[in-house]
Parts: sequence; C-alpha cells; structure tokens
Amino acid sequence: MKLPKLLLGAAMAALLAQPALAEYPEKPIELIVAFAPGGGTDVAARSVAMFMEKYLGNGASIAVINKPGAGGELGWTALSQAAPDGYTIGMINPPSFVALTVEGKAKYKLQDFQMIGNIVLDPGILVVGKDSQYQTLDALMAASKAAPGAIVVGTSGAAGSSEHIGILNLNRSAGSSFTPAFFGSTAPVRQALLGGHIPAATMNLSEALPLIRSGDIRLLGVMSLERSTYLPDAPTFKEQGYDLVVTASRGLAAPAGTPPEMVEKLQAALKAAMADPEYVKTAEAAEIPLAYLDGTDYRALLARMESELAETWKVTPWR
Amino acid sequence: MMDALLNALPHAFAPSSLLAVLIGTIAGLLVGALPGLTVTTGLAVLIPLTFGMDPLFALGMMAGMYNGGSYGGAIPAILLRVPGTPASVATLMDGYEMTKQGKAAYALQVAVVSGVIGSVLSALALIGLAPLLVKLSLMFGPAEYFWVAILGLATVASLLGDDLLKGLMAAFIGLLIGTMGTDLATGTERYTFGRLEFAEGMDIVVLLTALFAIPPVIQMIETAGHKGMSKELLNLRKQGSVLKDWRRFLPIWMRSSVIGIIIGILPGAGGSMSCYLAYNDAKQRSKDPDSFGKGNPDGVAASECGNGADNAASLIPALSLGIPGSGVAAVILGGLLVHGLRPGPQLFTEHPDVVYGFMLQMLISAVLLYFVGGLAATRIFGQVLRLPHVVLAPLILMFVAIGVYAVNNSTFDLYLLLGIGLIAYVMERLDYPSPPIILGVILGPIAEGQLSLALTISGGHPLALIASPMSMIVVTLTVLILAMPIWGMWKKRSRAAV
Repeated sequence: MKLPKLLLGAAMAALLAQPALAEYPEKPIELIVAFAPGGGTDVAARSVAMFMEKYLGNGASIAVINKPGAGGELGWTALSQAAPDGYTIGMINPPSFVALTVEGKAKYKLQDFQMIGNIVLDPGILVVGKDSQYQTLDALMAASKAAPGAIVVGTSGAAGSSEHIGILNLNRSAGSSFTPAFFGSTAPVRQALLGGHIPAATMNLSEALPLIRSGDIRLLGVMSLERSTYLPDAPTFKEQGYDLVVTASRGLAAPAGTPPEMVEKLQAALKAAMADPEYVKTAEAAEIPLAYLDGTDYRALLARMESELAETWKVTPWR
Repeated sequence: MMDALLNALPHAFAPSSLLAVLIGTIAGLLVGALPGLTVTTGLAVLIPLTFGMDPLFALGMMAGMYNGGSYGGAIPAILLRVPGTPASVATLMDGYEMTKQGKAAYALQVAVVSGVIGSVLSALALIGLAPLLVKLSLMFGPAEYFWVAILGLATVASLLGDDLLKGLMAAFIGLLIGTMGTDLATGTERYTFGRLEFAEGMDIVVLLTALFAIPPVIQMIETAGHKGMSKELLNLRKQGSVLKDWRRFLPIWMRSSVIGIIIGILPGAGGSMSCYLAYNDAKQRSKDPDSFGKGNPDGVAASECGNGADNAASLIPALSLGIPGSGVAAVILGGLLVHGLRPGPQLFTEHPDVVYGFMLQMLISAVLLYFVGGLAATRIFGQVLRLPHVVLAPLILMFVAIGVYAVNNSTFDLYLLLGIGLIAYVMERLDYPSPPIILGVILGPIAEGQLSLALTISGGHPLALIASPMSMIVVTLTVLILAMPIWGMWKKRSRAAV
C-alpha cells in the first residue's frame, strides 16, 4: 500500500514538475531595482525588462520593484536573500555594489549572486570648464603635483563612489594630489563646474555628452581601455600614460542557487534583448553605452574589480 | 525660455494634463473646505499615491491641489466661521460677518474671484521669474547656496510670531532629523540605529505624510460623532456680481497680489503670513478701517487675494534653486523627488517639458478655480462638509497607508509612519507647528553639505564664504530679515515705556 502510493506521488510530482520547468516563467518575475523610480538605473531596468519579456516567451512578464535606500545596499541585500526560484532577479551597479563587500560593510558577498549579464558600461571622465587654464591632462596633473591638495575635483558621488575611488587610485599611481569634493549627484557638480566654482570634476561619460559636444566643458581623459564610440576623438587616460580604468556598470543578477535551466533562459533572453535592433536603436538615441557581457565574463569583471578595490582599500580606505 | 514655454504648451494643455489639474483642483477644494485638513495634508496624501504615474499628470494634480486647497478654506470660514485652513483665518473675520448679514453668496464670490486673480498673477510671476533666477544660478556656488539655505532658515525663525520659541524648537527638531543618514564626504553613518532604511536619512515622503496627514485624521477620530453641517447653509442664491464691482476691488487686488508674491518668493516664509499682511495692508489703507471685521468685502478680497498670490510664487525658489519658499513648497519639492526630478537649475535644462508644463498647470488651475469655485460648484462640493468624520477618517488613513507603502515597497515605512504620526499628533496638541520641521529637514542638510563643499574648495578658509557679491547680498538679506522682528519688538517696547 505504502509503496504504490509513494510511487504514485513521485510520478505525479514528476509530471507536475516537468511542464513547470519547461514553461518557465509561469508567473511574473520580480526585478529588484535598488534605486528610486525615474533614475538612470530604473529606466535602464524597465527598458531592458520590456525586451526580455518578448524573448522569454510564454507571455512572460517582468515587474520592476524599486527598493531604494542606503546607496543600493538595501535592494542588493534583499536580492541576495530572495528565494532562488527564478522569480526574483535584480539590477546591480558595480563598482559600488562590489565596493560594499570590500569594505566589509555589506551583508552579502559576490558568491551570493548568479550573474545573468552586463548591460551598460559607462566610463568615468575627467573634465574642466571651457575657460579653464588647463588644456591637457598633463597640465592638470603637473599643477596638482606642484601644489599638494590645492586642486579640488568635484565628484558626482559620495565617499566610496567609483569616481572617488578613481581619484584615489590616480593620486596613488601617478603621484597627483587631487582633493575630492563630494556633490552627491551629477547635476550639482555640473552646475558648479559650469559656474566656475570648481576647477575640475569627474563624472560618467553619458552624463556629460551634451555639454562636451556644446563646448561648455572640456574633456581631458576617459578612464577606459578603449575610446568611446560616442566620442571617438576623446583620448583615454591610458593613451596619455596614466593607468586608470574606472567604469560604472549596470547588469542583472539572480540569487545564487537559482536553477541553472532558469538562469540559462534568463541569460538567453538578455542576450537576445540586447541584440534586438529596436532596443539598440532606442539605447543609441539616448546615448546609453551598451556593452553586453555574458554571465561568465561579467563574473570575471566583478572579480577583477573586487581585487583592485581591495588593493586600494588597503592603502587609502575611502571611508 | 520662450522656446521651452512653447514646447511645454501642448503637454500642459493635453487632455490628460487638463484632467489631472481638474481632479486636483476639485480635490483641493474639498480638502481645503474640510476643517482640519490643509493643502499640506492633501498633498501629503496625494504625493505617495501619484507615485508611478506620468510625472506631468502627477504634477498637474499637485498644482490643482495647491490652488484649489488654498481657496477651499474660505468656504467654511465664510459659512461656518470655521477656518478650513490656517490661511483662511483672515477671510473669516469679514466673511462670516457677511454671512450673518445674509450676504454669504456675495462673500463667497468675492473670495473666489480674488483668489483667482491672486493665483493667476502669482503663476505669471512664477513663469516669468523662475527662469530668470535659473539664469543667475550659475553665480550660485556652494558658498552662495549655503547662505540661501541659511536665509530660508532665518525666515522660518522670524515669521512665527507669537509662538517663536515653539516654532524654533520645531525647526531644530527638523534640523536634527536632517542630520540622519550617511555623511557624503566621510561615509560615516549618523543616527541610523543600524537600520539600512535610515542610511540615506529619514525618507522625506514618509516624514511629511506622517507630519501632515496623521494628526488631522486622529483629530477626526476624536470627533467621530461630528455629523457635518446642515444642508440649509449651502442653499446659496446669487447676489450681485463681483466682476461688475471691479473698480472697487482693483487696488486691493493689485497690492495684495504683490504682497503675496513677495512673501511667497522669500525662502522659508510664506503660507498664512501673506493673507494677514494683505489684510492689514488693506485695513490700513482703507478710508474706513473700523468697518474691517464687521463684514467689509474688502477684507475678504485682500485676504483671499494675498493667499492665492502666495501659492505659485513660493515655488520660484523651490523650482529654480531647490530651496522651498514655504511648507507647501517643501512638500511639493518632495513630490518632485518621488518622480526622480531633482529641483534646482538643472531641472530647467534636463526636464524643460515637465518644469514649464508644471508652471503652466499652476496657471491653468488658477483659472479653473473660477469655474469649480463658483456658486453652483460650491453648492455641490460644499456637500463634503456634510460628510461625517466616521467615514472620512478611515478613508484618508487607507489612502495614506497604501501610498506610503508603494513608494519604497517597505513595511518598515508603515511603522515609521505610525510612530512619527503619533508623535506629530502629540506635538500638534502641544501647539508645535509642523512646517518648520519639514523646512529644517530640507534646509539643514543643504546648508551642511554646501558649507562642507565651500570649505573643501577654499582649502578651509572661512572668509571664502562671503567672498562673492552674491554671498554678500544673501547675507545682507538674512540679517535684515532677522533684524526686522527684533526692531519691531524694540519699537513696541519703547512705545510702551513712553
């Protein structure tokens, strides 16, 4: 009596389980965004979600859930603790996502996540006002070396942001002595630079494109390995002899332990969405620096970021 | 500026935007008419609910709520001798006397026409002056912003009148709450009690909802037996035409509008202040000042016009510099943030459609007020005065809870709402004003952050704070505003001594 019942149960479970997997997703997938709606991360998440729904098929729907707070930490912690059933994924924003683990502050580790893929890579830039006396990166670096601490660089982030860590790395590797001034967000730092209240500033490339093109601010260097397709004339730091790479990334991750076949399906959907001509066209119109990386490459990028940040943290802790 | 304004026209006059403004204006009228509920309460309930809507639709409702609510208070003030909002106290003085003399309909008409004229001129001032201030904004660096925030705090302190001490304490409580969160420059966490929810400081939407929406609801629960007014009072018949009497009111309208607009622009001031000032001005200039308070329509006209003129003008520093001109403007600033719109000069370059659209919506709602605030409409919307509190209180509470939860998807915020709401209720019973709290929360961190930036940039030289002409202008203004009440007190005392 017992055995047949057990067998029957097992058979039914198998029957039920089989189609469930094949038909993933059978209910809405929640996409946690660790920032407020309307911001850059939120818009990026909502637009990629729209196209991923198309390629997930099966009438899939992805619901964006905003969990803003603590500079992203709240949402990322929630993601790391979510049930790994394939119905919760999230947007992550390295390097601050990684910086929190390096500081030992976060309740999560990189191992708590399964990467789905990278969407955006937005390099950091160093800019000065159009009337600035500094024409080149070398001139600004020389001035900073000559007068320790005198040259203030406005950053759009807070202590521990990618721009701040970028300045620290530059000071460490090239012997400059820039003093960071924290404006907290991009708009005020741009305003202060335009008004001539600060000599130089760092921000992300996509945040400054219109002002660079209009000539209101002058770009001295891009902190990426290669030149940006949006500004092919702008030299990188590396070309000018400074080894500095600072990139803000936006990508998707799931909690570790999510069933591999579901992760594969999500990865495939992201890849297809990012190759969709319509998506590419919208992103290009909005000048969003798309850079698809698959799950494996993305994990490698994050691991590299983590070891570099750990190095900086040892020498110049940012908080 | 003209281009941006023309580009925003189709957005502001789109059917959805007009509908939003209409809904907001009517809702504002109802909220303002209900004693105990103020414009700030209405906005505090509305803002979390508009979350997720198209920004211009949400802002249209806020614009309507602002103008509608600011007039709505006049209805019970005139009919019942109960001020619907603090700003309608000056209206009550002559308005209710007119009702007693059987001239309620005329009084309401004076109130609505004066309110419309004040708010229209105010909206025009906003559309004209805000972009000008934005043009000047490049002259505002961290040092200048620091002083503007201090100016805002100074006006809070000096315009509280009788309750100076309690007002100051409220502002200091606000400043204290404003210190919560992670320090931008050092990464140090302050007063976060180990909660990630506090790492970016107190959530402004939760705070303002708790401060402005919960206490009135609790007061309603206390008076749950309250039945609302009888229907006879709403039986209004048309009496004469205010528009035909325009010659009589024109000088009052002009002066009251100018007073309201100037008070509105001053950061930190505003609110009920402008209608008192306009009322006093009209009284002092009147040939028959003794008739004020005895049913003189001029008193209603001055108070309501000054009240309306304050509205849009208080948004001038809020939109262009990110520094609110009144408690309501501070709440609207919170509403913009919910939609990812950071007030300040960049708003005009990054989201010209939204910001010019919003300014036009303020104008549209001012005009709409004439139609939905008229006699026929007052008869209909006045019905809300008959709603028993038993129904009203749980309804508002439900909207508030849903709205606040939706903003951060966080149950923690609901506990916070309840806790702060209870504290806010106790404070209100002890006569501590709430607007200085919210201004302290907003202005404090601006002042602190900008001071830190200014000192970083100058290499730690405090004199750099007053190096630019713009800094000196703002500092002078601040000193003047602080000195005025002291001078007034001194004059009073020396007079008493004689």
